[in-house]
Amino acid sequence: MKLRKKLMPAAVTIAVAMTLTTVGCSNAKTASTATAGAGSGVPGGTLKVLGQADVDHLDPALGAMVGTTSIMRAISRQLISYKTVDDAKERLVPQGDLATSVPTPTDGGLTYTFEIRQGAMWDIPSGPRQIVAADFARGFKRLCTPVQASTMLGYFTDAIVGMQSFCDGFEKVAPTPDAMTAYVEGTPISGVTAVNDKTLTIKLTKPAGDFAYMLSLNNASPAPVEALKYVPDSPEYRSNYFSAGPYRIKSYTADKSLILERNPAWKAEADPLRKAYVDTIEVTFGLTADAVAQQLQAGSADMSLENSSIPTAVLEQMRATNDPKLTTIAAGRVDPFLWINTKTSNNGGALQKLEVRQALEYAVDKAAIVQTFGGTQNAKVQNGIFGPGVIGYHDFDLYPTSGSKGDPAKTKELLAKAGVTNLTLKLPYRTKGLEPQIAQTLQASFEKAGVTIQLVPVNPSDYYSKFLTNHENTANGTWDIAPVGWTPDWQGGAARSVFQPQFTYTGTPQGYNYVDYNNDKANALAAQALASTSPDEQAKLWAQVDEAVMADAVIIPLASRLDTLYRSARVQNFTPYALSVQGDWTNVWLKR
Amino acid sequence: MSPVRTPKQAAAVAAVVQRGSTSLTLRRLRRDPASMIAAVFILLLVLFALCAPLIAAWTGHGPNEQFRDTGLSPSGTPVAPGGQFLLGTDQLGRDVFVRLAYGAQVSLMVGVLASLAAATIGVVVGVVAGYLGGVVDTILSRVMDLVMSVPFLLCAIALVSVFGPSLPLSVAVIVFFSWTALGRVIRGQVLALREREFVEAARSLGASHVSIMIRDLLPNLAVPILIYSTLMIPSAIVFEATLSFLGLGVVPPTASWGGMLAEAGNNSVYLVAWWLVIFPGLTLLGATLSFNILGDGLRDALDPRSQMGRGR
Repeated sequence: MKLRKKLMPAAVTIAVAMTLTTVGCSNAKTASTATAGAGSGVPGGTLKVLGQADVDHLDPALGAMVGTTSIMRAISRQLISYKTVDDAKERLVPQGDLATSVPTPTDGGLTYTFEIRQGAMWDIPSGPRQIVAADFARGFKRLCTPVQASTMLGYFTDAIVGMQSFCDGFEKVAPTPDAMTAYVEGTPISGVTAVNDKTLTIKLTKPAGDFAYMLSLNNASPAPVEALKYVPDSPEYRSNYFSAGPYRIKSYTADKSLILERNPAWKAEADPLRKAYVDTIEVTFGLTADAVAQQLQAGSADMSLENSSIPTAVLEQMRATNDPKLTTIAAGRVDPFLWINTKTSNNGGALQKLEVRQALEYAVDKAAIVQTFGGTQNAKVQNGIFGPGVIGYHDFDLYPTSGSKGDPAKTKELLAKAGVTNLTLKLPYRTKGLEPQIAQTLQASFEKAGVTIQLVPVNPSDYYSKFLTNHENTANGTWDIAPVGWTPDWQGGAARSVFQPQFTYTGTPQGYNYVDYNNDKANALAAQALASTSPDEQAKLWAQVDEAVMADAVIIPLASRLDTLYRSARVQNFTPYALSVQGDWTNVWLKR
Repeated sequence: MSPVRTPKQAAAVAAVVQRGSTSLTLRRLRRDPASMIAAVFILLLVLFALCAPLIAAWTGHGPNEQFRDTGLSPSGTPVAPGGQFLLGTDQLGRDVFVRLAYGAQVSLMVGVLASLAAATIGVVVGVVAGYLGGVVDTILSRVMDLVMSVPFLLCAIALVSVFGPSLPLSVAVIVFFSWTALGRVIRGQVLALREREFVEAARSLGASHVSIMIRDLLPNLAVPILIYSTLMIPSAIVFEATLSFLGLGVVPPTASWGGMLAEAGNNSVYLVAWWLVIFPGLTLLGATLSFNILGDGLRDALDPRSQMGRGR
């Protein structure tokens, strides 16, 4: 399974890593870069962060939600990472973090050789210890423990030589620390070699222009040998976490709070990307979006764990007063879009017919969805699988309607042509944030076209984990069309992280390709794009992938969202870290 | 004292109750201005609910129709009360006035239906427990204790997560948690009544238990039943609003007052649209207050010891 849980569609939820390469990210980008930060950094103080939901995992190998990414920035390090700067382009340029620099691949793009930064230390009970090449191999191995596999695993098994066979073997190992340690320490990944303590080579199965971006994910973090003593992400692991970043975990109470303190083993001179001004970071979980916005406005807290957590009405007020603490970022986030269930036999299997799905594409008033998000300042109409900023994004619409307001007459006509009448579709939605509004807006659109919509309310926290990713629900027709969202997993050329997890099927069911969708033509084009070294050609090929998928009409794209960030008045140098789509905790300072 | 009646007489005046005649009760009630205002408000509310389709036709706005161009700003802000939308629009550009009327249907229907059902259960259980006594009483009384000790919201949330929210489920939950109060009162009354001479007389005439319960006891319970049922309506309305507010009641887009309030609270829309809180809130307040005042007034009017109507 690949992917990361970045769905979190609509509404005020979590979103995730953004992708803004170059393509026109709309006027919002200009706004995004206007940040406060005059003067030089002042160390000290406690940064108070408010979150709606607890972290998904407190283990770099497993963490996938955007809020978790902010925490991982503070307590873990990777080979590659990013500067947090105002310039949107520079923010996405891979930089050496634990690697001294970003290497140019050799061997026809198949071999990467990294030099490990000296002075970067593990915080372990016996005293600080240098991070070495073997720690990275161990980090990759921890992605597929028999206890739980990382949602990003697919990217790495696909890219790295020997990763798949290592993981196949790992599956058969007993999920106890001893057995797992024996396997990890005794079995190499053939493509990952620690030449010596300072040098690491990684061999790829095929050239991948986006490999450097994959290495920037917290899932690609190194792991010290001590980490193997604990079951991954278990309470024991969490309370004995070994930090490589400028902060370490002081205390953690599930669903309540996480307190980070300075990591004494971390040295500023061995970290070019993090300044670590604040002394302590206090994260409080379990607040509503309204409460978070109010506390940030009042100044009783500083930052929000999630992005886009500001209610639209509050946003409206902030815009009206030109609040300088409001920042907007384009994140390549397609949210929401509708999956059409091609497996259900509801309505006599009507949705399995291409003509029926194409008819539905014309029905939706996408402009109304954008309006629900507060208008074009916050969202724009989306017609393809790639959001603005993702390579391959281009302006096209295979199912155009006037003003993107939907064409009920055309839907009726096409449905009649396909011989389908009295279509009744089940539309699940989360009872949270803007989701009920979106569901009702969709219902109104479809009913104009003579399609009856049954709204099915679903508990927000169960929506992805228990409802949609349950293949039985899909096969049994518990839902017919479902609104979801997706933000690419990494920055830059992120088309793979949109396409591969959602629109390819290799025989093993994967989480976020709910209907086991596969398109050979799109797969072939994607393979060409991944092998290509020319950004122009890549963009062209990914654009064709987009159109090939849309021709099958398995999803109805609705809108792409901008992420809106807010902070308290005392936060200075608020610049976004690309992967968390949020101000970088390790580079802000507090005005006192 | 009036309870001593032949069953026939009792049945004939069952709707009227003890001592006074209907007209006497009504006269007492009429002298209470608060009750009269409440009654008028309820009457208007019923009319409002009944006329919902007419209102929709008159304004030309369906209850779930979204006016994206005229009812919302380009950035999705609702339109304030005015000529076209009497009470403004909500966050989806729907007419609040029309939705309020349709919401009244739901609230009144839930209020009345749930109260009737709960009253029926409460009366049956109360009468049986009180009249039969013994083991039956012990069991039924413990059941009432049990129901009263179940936390309402916790149970509602659990049920909804299993069955999914719906109107019938809301009514069922409300009924389940409402009948016990009346059941206890009725049981107490029956305990006193069953020792009375007219019950003994009926029994010596060979009347069956069922007959005594229905023909002799029930007519004498009309007052508490009437009062408690009336007072149950507002709490049922509030229950429904609570459930819908929490997203556990009526499924959108069906309008309900609680749901309208919840939508206003969601995403802080109320910050830019006060009318989304004020109108459903006031209507809900007015409805519950009216039923409560009317219930109180009825109790006073029906109470033989009441001073009301005697002139002071």
